[in-house]
Amino acid sequence: MSKLSKQGGNVLLCALCTILIVSAIAGTVLINCTTRYNVASSQVQSWKAALMGAEAGGDIAYAEVRKTILDPSNAFSAGAGWTNSGTVRTSSVATLGSNNVKASSTVDVFYSDSSGSPWYRIRSKGVSPALGVARTGMDDRMITGARGDSLLRKIDFYYDHFISTYGPNGDGVGKALVAVNQPQVSRRIELISAPVTPFEAAIKAGGTFYGLGSAAFVDSFRSTTGAYDVTVKDNPSDPRYADSQAGTVEINSAVATIMGSIYGNLYTNGGTVTKNTTSVYGIIDNNVPFDLSGFVMPDVTGWNYVPSPTAVTGNTTIDPPTTNGFPRAGSPVSPNYYLLTSFANNGNLTVNPAVINNVPQETYVAVHVTDNIGTSTSSQPSIIVPAHVHLQVYFDGNFQTKAQNIVNTSGYAGNLQFYAISPTVPSVQQTINLNSGGGATAGFSAVFYSPAANFTINGGPDITGAIVCKNFYANGNVHWHYDRALDNQGDPVDYRIASYVEDIR
Amino acid sequence: MRFTRLRKRHGFTLTELMIATGTGGFVLAAIMTSSIALQKTLNAIENYFATQMQQIRIIDYLNRDVKRGLIVTTSVDLQSVTITVPSYLIQAGDPEAIANPSLVGTPRTPTISNTLSGRQVNYGSSTSTIVYSISGQSILRTENGTVTMVASSTDQLVPQTTDVELANTEYTSTTVTFLPIFTSGNLATERKGTTLFSTSYLRNKRRG
Repeated sequence: MSKLSKQGGNVLLCALCTILIVSAIAGTVLINCTTRYNVASSQVQSWKAALMGAEAGGDIAYAEVRKTILDPSNAFSAGAGWTNSGTVRTSSVATLGSNNVKASSTVDVFYSDSSGSPWYRIRSKGVSPALGVARTGMDDRMITGARGDSLLRKIDFYYDHFISTYGPNGDGVGKALVAVNQPQVSRRIELISAPVTPFEAAIKAGGTFYGLGSAAFVDSFRSTTGAYDVTVKDNPSDPRYADSQAGTVEINSAVATIMGSIYGNLYTNGGTVTKNTTSVYGIIDNNVPFDLSGFVMPDVTGWNYVPSPTAVTGNTTIDPPTTNGFPRAGSPVSPNYYLLTSFANNGNLTVNPAVINNVPQETYVAVHVTDNIGTSTSSQPSIIVPAHVHLQVYFDGNFQTKAQNIVNTSGYAGNLQFYAISPTVPSVQQTINLNSGGGATAGFSAVFYSPAANFTINGGPDITGAIVCKNFYANGNVHWHYDRALDNQGDPVDYRIASYVEDIR
Repeated sequence: MRFTRLRKRHGFTLTELMIATGTGGFVLAAIMTSSIALQKTLNAIENYFATQMQQIRIIDYLNRDVKRGLIVTTSVDLQSVTITVPSYLIQAGDPEAIANPSLVGTPRTPTISNTLSGRQVNYGSSTSTIVYSISGQSILRTENGTVTMVASSTDQLVPQTTDVELANTEYTSTTVTFLPIFTSGNLATERKGTTLFSTSYLRNKRRG
């Protein structure tokens, strides 16, 4: 036997040892890389994706909540995958993205405010598969005895930890050991969807803005703490001063010509308004876009329809109908409801309260005018609302009159609410023209919600109330007082998310 | 007996031995140096990755709390953050828990209140406070007095959070840096190279 073959065996042994050592090093590196990759790319990614799923589920539910106002007949429909059980509505499970993230939500009404508007609670759950190696605790080794990732990112490898520990609804009811098909991360959020009331600002224009006049001003007060006082807005020591600085003007356009003084905030959408050019006492923010949806006639189911009168011609008086021998005062959710097909140019409408035993009752009335209210600048229809009457006027056409012809005896703007139903034909431009004329200073207390109408007011009336319109034009020294008590008045026009909480268990 | 004459063999000359020894020494030194360098590199990389995971964890903790926060304030040195969040869950000692201990750990039903800035959603009569702070080498998260160590590292992890309040929104910008083991002398640059950046908006910001 040759000695050379023995030498060859030694070389082979050395080579194998070297390969072993290098492999051990490579294996160590690979384990470390896999560990980090598993956490960073799979588990962290799944944890974030689960929240995205939960928020997507929240968005889906929120869209349905908005439909309860904007498209009631299609809200929470079975066709969209919703099921109803009592007062709880449950969505079907939606699968999102290439990683099969799943989103589902439940919606229930947990509160109804003084106007009868429901507040919705949305509970949404997102589930994301935890890809990669089914291991955890890899980054729990900060120090001995401490835990890191496990406290933050709870991964269900075999069983759903939430259901087994807290129950499916998180209230401790129905706890059960539920196996999962594959490792997953679930996250849950709770959103509160609050009704948006129409009169949250003194003036809200979805289009352009011009006004109000060099000596005009917009300020505010709170009628629940006392009558309006013109001196408060300039007196910081007055306890009512804070309420005088909410005469906010919101403009969803860059086209804004601001004149006069604004004792509140000014918002535009891309405008260039600065403190140097106007007298704005609050915040100027030129980056506040908003959406004004068209207004549709609300559902009158539950309202007390009264067949007469059907038109306003000359002097027309509405007295409450009699029920069981007593005049019916109605309620915010069930007003006395009148359908009027015309409102004459010289028509004078007076709405009286229900009086029982010589005591006027808080009376709720809704009037739907399916035509114009006034048709020319010379027309002077009037609307008179005595104290204790809460009148809502819905109209399909235009509205033209003198500012002083709107008489609200109580002085509380929330008692006289005008709603302009948006035209269904886009080319039709709705208008509201209130002309004081001749510098008259007589004004009114009322609110207008007319998102599709151009609003024009001339002269220098003294106005208590709020306006939501498309384009706003005022050419006069208007004194506009926004009543902060209006911020929870009126029919809700939309919903917004008012609260966001994550259930971090 | 006949002695067999051994075949003549040549040994190594002194020169050959010296060259072989020297070469072997160089090779061994190279192997030793490489091994130590490899070990150091491996250690540094592992440390870098581990610290990076802690960076991510700090950011994720903070973002989760800021999103559900009602109020966020940062300290002057930007290294301490105080977040007020809704008290979503009933805790031991809360009025509801005292009245009915079985409610501990269950979610509250929200209530609505009227405030000067409008209607407001509340979970219980009080809120919870979360504080992020640095203690030695550790980053701590303290919620209503309960301390959790969020991260701990000898690499001088430094989180910095700026709270930005605008007219209609509020957000926090957070950076987390650390000093890696391997440095080339310019420590500031080395630290800057590890920066992890994050922005999180308050979902519960209320406009006044």
